[in-house]
Amino acid sequence: MNATGIPLKEPSVSAAAGDAEQLERAYIDASTRVPVLMFYTSAMAWLILGTLLAGFVSFKLHSPDLFSDISFLTWGRVRPAHMNVMVYGWASMAGMGTAIWLMARLCRTVLRYPLLLVAGAVFWNLGVLLGVGGILLGDSTGYQWLEFPHYAAIILFVAYTLVISWAVLMFRYRRGEQIYITQWYLLGAFLWFPWLYAAGQLMLFVVPVQGVLQSAVGWWYANNLLFLWFGAIGLGTAYYMIPKVIGRPVYSYHLATIGFWSYALFSSWTGMQRLVDGPFPAWMITASIAATILTMIPVATVGLNHHMTMQGYFPLMRYSPTLRFTVFGAMSYTVFSVIGVLISLRSVARYVNFTQASIAYSHLGLYAFFTMVIFGSMYYIVPRLVGREWRYASLIKLHFWASVYGIGLMTLMLLAGGFLQGADMQNPSLAFSESIETALPYLRGRTLSGILLAGSHFIFAYHFGLMLLGLGRTSTVPTFLNPVEAETSGTH
Amino acid sequence: MKGLAPLFLGIFGTFVFSWVGLTVIPNWQIGHLNPQSDEEGTDTYPQPQSGMVERGARVYAANGCIYCHSQQVRADYAANDIERKWGERRSAPRDYIFDRPVFLGKMRMGQDLANIGARAPKEEENPPPTGAATPAASPAQGGTPAASPSPAQQTSSPPPTGSPQAPAGSPSASPGSPAPKAPAAQPPKVPLASPSPSAIANASPAASPNPAATAPWPVQTAGAPPMYSAAWQHVHLYSPRSINVDSNMPSYRFLYKKRRVVGERSADALELTGSDTPREGWEVVPSFDAKCLVAYLMSLNQSHPLKEVRSPGATPGASPVAASPAPAK
Repeated sequence: MNATGIPLKEPSVSAAAGDAEQLERAYIDASTRVPVLMFYTSAMAWLILGTLLAGFVSFKLHSPDLFSDISFLTWGRVRPAHMNVMVYGWASMAGMGTAIWLMARLCRTVLRYPLLLVAGAVFWNLGVLLGVGGILLGDSTGYQWLEFPHYAAIILFVAYTLVISWAVLMFRYRRGEQIYITQWYLLGAFLWFPWLYAAGQLMLFVVPVQGVLQSAVGWWYANNLLFLWFGAIGLGTAYYMIPKVIGRPVYSYHLATIGFWSYALFSSWTGMQRLVDGPFPAWMITASIAATILTMIPVATVGLNHHMTMQGYFPLMRYSPTLRFTVFGAMSYTVFSVIGVLISLRSVARYVNFTQASIAYSHLGLYAFFTMVIFGSMYYIVPRLVGREWRYASLIKLHFWASVYGIGLMTLMLLAGGFLQGADMQNPSLAFSESIETALPYLRGRTLSGILLAGSHFIFAYHFGLMLLGLGRTSTVPTFLNPVEAETSGTH
Repeated sequence: MKGLAPLFLGIFGTFVFSWVGLTVIPNWQIGHLNPQSDEEGTDTYPQPQSGMVERGARVYAANGCIYCHSQQVRADYAANDIERKWGERRSAPRDYIFDRPVFLGKMRMGQDLANIGARAPKEEENPPPTGAATPAASPAQGGTPAASPSPAQQTSSPPPTGSPQAPAGSPSASPGSPAPKAPAAQPPKVPLASPSPSAIANASPAASPNPAATAPWPVQTAGAPPMYSAAWQHVHLYSPRSINVDSNMPSYRFLYKKRRVVGERSADALELTGSDTPREGWEVVPSFDAKCLVAYLMSLNQSHPLKEVRSPGATPGASPVAASPAPAK
């Protein structure tokens, strides 16, 4: 790889940017307005729906007699509905919104063929809607993370084809030779997702594999979706936002290269560790455990790179909402990966397999890492699309802290509850029901954390709605979380 | 990085590497297993299921049973699933070759169901011949390959002495049995000769059933049909807390119909107790989906020995029935 470091300057020129560049950027931003806002608005709607479903799921877990006469409100249908709304509705759509905007900026070209994206968003929404409706009506396929019935899956795939064709076209029109780090991740995500989705659908529904291999394919898909789709978009976004906001190039290009390729190589081999001790050849599970441990290499390089970039600039998190959310997300990526390694070790996995701890893991990845990074990017991007600044710093702060405490509490509850549940389950002198009773108080705590998260989402949705309606502040100065003191002027 | 080609190739290469490694090679290794049968080709296992069982699997998928119940028994060195009586041996890939979808599961907010059909009382499979007590069929714990035609027989060990809390009325579901059936797992009196010292240490002398491992989770409730029988499954699905007050399983009332009794009470009406009992002149009957679901549950049975799986019963000390009478057949 080349070591010129030229691309690193690209996203960090704001301080030195001339007027022409400012104009060009504004022009590009304006061209992304309709499609990106469309993705964001849909994502917000799914986020609120998913939150309501989550509350229902969490509550019903300790109040199981609620609505037992109504088939589509049974726990086993609402839970996958919540999961799929969050994964395909909220996270994927918000992630695509951010990715589209970043793509246009980094290719330094106006967004061409917006109709492709608009149609993509419409079809994607339709696919998720049909899929969730199908699950609630009892059409679930029964494969975790791939519950959408085939008619919804086909529509999602069509929608995705539109988005990816657009991305390829953008790359074709890009200006400049260099491809910035963020673009590696985004291109990876854009290409990995359809391959993954196609491979999953093919091997489970079109030419189904035999027996337990369906589970292997399912978890291979689910874990790779987490890493190669969400993880790649999240890391790519962080690689853009952190240097951009603090106005400083990424610390090391070499580290970024190592981080990217080791990430692609190792994280894609994880997944089977979730089937530990299951009816599989042991080498499959061992390979995934080894890969999970090796993901510490990208974690260390990416974490070090971000940390060194941020070095000396951490106080800026006091002011910039984007930076605060993004850095929290980037740090959560480390936590998520470390816990991932911990619960994949055979000796530990034996305890936490089949417990709530694996739910903590998914939430750490999808929420504490990915969603927080995406929230951060939305705080950066939306003002540039609607031409208004966020109206209330206090709402951003509330959003941040409710999210942080919410996801923190949820992770703690599910991890602690999961470990204790697993320890009870592994103790042959305790009846099985004891392990459930042990977990229940923690599940109630989880419901509490869900209320915090719901609050944070409602606040954000309200704030986002104000922006959409053009009720943001008209100002040239971004909304800071705290009044900016003299010494930090010039950065935002 | 300059140029798209190396980037694209790298992205493609890493994906293919993982896809081949984790799905294609395993498919080549264990993706084309055949059922196992003995020399005469008579005792074939597993066998494809069809009809109601197949539809029941779809009901199982539709209602998300997988989010709380696993269907896999881990090996004895990894976990105490076997000690918990969830199975007699660990699950193997061959057990699932006809399952689609396969419900291995990732969560145990409820019991493992890999062998729930095997826990059913005997006459569920074989109509009671004489109505007498169950013959002393030794559970096929040891290496003794199933001589019995019905796999369900293997686990339903007869209650030698005290069957827990004898239900008073003979449940309608098992009309032929005068004696209430014991839970499918071990009767409480039999001390678990398990390798785990803690289980032994904790085994209280007599009265309260040896905790945990021996006592299956829901215990037989008075007035309810014999545990794990089809009738019991229906009552459990309809009203889990009538069987175990602490259960947090959702109730699946929407799979059942409450209707006025016309003439005779239906044969498949649920044996409900307590507050669930329908008013006089009314009855609760399972829908077709509920019957399929129960048929599916009753079909879950991995008790047939597999050549590739060492049965822990074969090792000394692990078999809880080492002292029981020799196999009858």
